Amino acid sequence: MRIHFNDEPMQCADSLTLANLLEHLRLLKPGVALAVNQIIVPRELWEAQELHDGDQILLFQAIAGG
Amino acid sequence: MNDTDFMRYSRQLLLEDVAFEGQKKLLASRVLIVGLGGLGSPAALYLAAAGVGTLILADDDNVHISNLQRQILFTSQDIGQPKSQAAQRHLKQLNPGIELQVISDRLHGEALNQAVSNVSLVLDCSDNMATRQAINAACVTHNKPLISASAVGFGGQLMVLTPPWEHGCYRCVWPDENEPERNCRTAGVLGPVVGVMGTLQALEAIKVLTGIIPASGSLRLFDARQHSWRALSMQKSARCPVCGGTDAHPL
Repeated sequence: MRIHFNDEPMQCADSLTLANLLEHLRLLKPGVALAVNQIIVPRELWEAQELHDGDQILLFQAIAGG
Repeated sequence: MNDTDFMRYSRQLLLEDVAFEGQKKLLASRVLIVGLGGLGSPAALYLAAAGVGTLILADDDNVHISNLQRQILFTSQDIGQPKSQAAQRHLKQLNPGIELQVISDRLHGEALNQAVSNVSLVLDCSDNMATRQAINAACVTHNKPLISASAVGFGGQLMVLTPPWEHGCYRCVWPDENEPERNCRTAGVLGPVVGVMGTLQALEAIKVLTGIIPASGSLRLFDARQHSWRALSMQKSARCPVCGGTDAHPL
C-alpha cells in the first residue's frame, strides 16, 4: 500500500495502524500530533485506526514558544 | 462614542461587518492577553488600536535586550522594566481611550481562574506548555473563547477554540504536558514569523468580538520558509480530561 508521510511517498504493509507506523519509523514519542487526510486524530485512536491506501499522513511537533 | 472615536475607528466603521454595532461591541469587550512577547506585542498593539475597551496585560518578565528583535511593543529605553508596565505605557500613548490593566505576577492557579472568569476572550501568547495547558483548562471551565498561537524558527501554529468545544480544546490536540525541546531561546525565531501569528490572534479576536465567524475548529500550521499554510480539522478527544469526553478521567 502506498501512502504519503509528511508529503513524501512511502510504501508500507497492509493493515497497519497509525501507532504501528510511528513505531516502525521510531517516531512514536510525546509532543507530536498526527493528521490523516487533514484531520487530526486524537492520541487514543492511534492504536486502533488503520491506514488506507493513498492516505496522507502528517506528523508534527507541538510549538509552545511565543 | 464621541467624535474623536468616530475618526479614530473610521476605517473599520466603514466595514459592513464591523460598523457602529461592531465597534460598540469592541469598546465593551475585555480581553486578557497572557504573555507580552513576540506574539503579545502585535496582538496588544492591534487590539488597543482597534478599540477593545479593556485590555488586561499579563507578563511577569522584564524587557531584555534580546527581546527587541521581535517584541515590537518595546523600545531600547524599556530594557530592565516590567513588560506589563512598559506595554501599558506604550498602548496608552497609542490609544488613551481604552482601559489598560496590568498583571505583573506569573498567572496560575486561582489568579488565572479569576482573570479568565471576567473577560470576553483570552489570547494565549505565552511561551511554555505548562501555561498553555493551564490557560486552556481555565477557558474551558469558564466557557471563554481562546485564541492560541505559538511560533519557533520558521513555524507557527494557530487555534481558535470556542465554546461549546465541538471540535475539542487545546488538550485534545496536545495531551502531553512536556515542554517541547525547541523554543525561541534555544532554537531562535524570526521576528516577522512570530509577528504574523500574533497579528492573526488579534484578527481572530476582532472577529469573535464583533460576531464575524472566526477560523475555529482547526489548527493552522504556518511554514514561513515555503510561505504556506495547512488547515487541519480538529476532533474532540473522547478521553480529554479538560473538555470532557465521555471516557475522560478528570485531572
